[in-house]
Amino acid sequence: MMAGKYTHLDNQKVSGSVDSVPAVTDSGEVAIKFADSNLETFPPSQARGKISGGSRPPRDADDTFSKTSLGSDEAQPGGWFRSFTVDAYKPYFDVDTSDVLDRIKESLFPFKGSFTEKTASNPDLYGPFWICTTLIFVAAAIGTFVTYVAHELKNQEWNYDINLVTWSAGVFYGYVTIVPLGLYVILKYFSAPSGLVQLFCLYGYSLFVFIPALCLSVVPLEIFRWVIAGVAGFMSATFVALNLRAHIMSAGERWFFIVAAIFLLQVALSVVLKLYLFTVTV
Amino acid sequence: MSLTDTVPLHASSQSDIDEIENLINASVHSGPATVLPARPPSPPRAQIPPVWDTVKRDLSRIVSNLKLVVFPNPYREDPGKALRDWDLWGPFFFIVFLGLTLSWSASVKKSEVFAVAFAVLAAGAVILTLNVLLLGGQIIFFQSLSLLGYCLFPLDVGAVICLLKDNVILKVIVVCVTLAWSSWAAYPFMSSAVNPRRKALALYPVFLMYVSVGFLIIAID
Repeated sequence: MMAGKYTHLDNQKVSGSVDSVPAVTDSGEVAIKFADSNLETFPPSQARGKISGGSRPPRDADDTFSKTSLGSDEAQPGGWFRSFTVDAYKPYFDVDTSDVLDRIKESLFPFKGSFTEKTASNPDLYGPFWICTTLIFVAAAIGTFVTYVAHELKNQEWNYDINLVTWSAGVFYGYVTIVPLGLYVILKYFSAPSGLVQLFCLYGYSLFVFIPALCLSVVPLEIFRWVIAGVAGFMSATFVALNLRAHIMSAGERWFFIVAAIFLLQVALSVVLKLYLFTVTV
Repeated sequence: MSLTDTVPLHASSQSDIDEIENLINASVHSGPATVLPARPPSPPRAQIPPVWDTVKRDLSRIVSNLKLVVFPNPYREDPGKALRDWDLWGPFFFIVFLGLTLSWSASVKKSEVFAVAFAVLAAGAVILTLNVLLLGGQIIFFQSLSLLGYCLFPLDVGAVICLLKDNVILKVIVVCVTLAWSSWAAYPFMSSAVNPRRKALALYPVFLMYVSVGFLIIAID
């Protein structure tokens, strides 16, 4: 009863030095009012510096695998410096294991010609780089093994030739770097520009077929080796040519020459490999 | 009598006051040297620890890191956890040792063999780390270099065995065993650093590098 007597606790007023939570008022709202008390308050000012907006959990080596990198929050270093950061190349490695395996399988079927469409949106540099590196190792290993066996069969002195490694490194890395670059320039000249990374991707995956070819060439039959080299070269060259043909046709009348040149280059690579690695002079 | 007038003191208290004054004057005149130091004594001059202590400390750290990384330990609390106390001395020593062993076993072109081995291992470690970073993995660059270097220890052991015994079959077996051991040591760290869908993409290059080093060990005679 709101008689105004002091002994009644009025619902509107909260009196006393104790924080009190009044019961539900007549209006149905719950009003929580903290009277000024003598308690000290600790404002979070000291911690403000540590809590960033959106408080992310701390990152360490075995934390989440999220794609957002820390670099996305910082200001990017300007202009051409960016090409020296790791982040500039991350988009080209945005592939999963299944994607890479898929693309490798594509490269083994050269007559489909669908490789460029599949990789147009997401060309990767992982495949080309590691296929080349694997090829270097396989070429050096197989080449060494072949000469070793040949020398052993004739009971001759044999020494490991370390130059095989360096030579094959030069050939493969050079081929995958320079030929697509040259093609890129030529296509620009003929006003049918293609993405440079797409070309790297295409050439890199086209070399995959040489890995099984080299492994098979261990068989010491000369004819067999030539057949293998020919088939591998043909498959690889067709892969590249067919995938580029649709694009190069827009370059004008000279397109056939360009495609033929690409084809022949790849076959030449295969022949060079066969000759250098498997010509054993005992 | 106003309050400003000094009150004549009792004789004994006057003498006490005189005594105290004398003491104060004496201490002021004789300087701070006689004052008992209330501050702590000056710190002893820093001694340069003997070189042996530093070397011993580094060696013990290398050994403890090696035990963490390379040796089978079923009670490892978190196999994917990276080395806390990584260092680069251990990896450096293992890489150089492997290059030297290979160079020693080679009968021709010794310096080229060392150069190729060292370059492949050092550049390989850097490239492997970059590979994980590019795939979107979260690792610390030098910590990863350190770990990959420590995982070379089994291959070092294999190279020494192959140096001592020149039998091809034995070499192949020893290299296969040590290769598997090295890959086993590197596997938990590398696989936990990337997205599980890309695990094979990160692990394959590690395997490739160890296989190529193993091949070098077999082939060099």
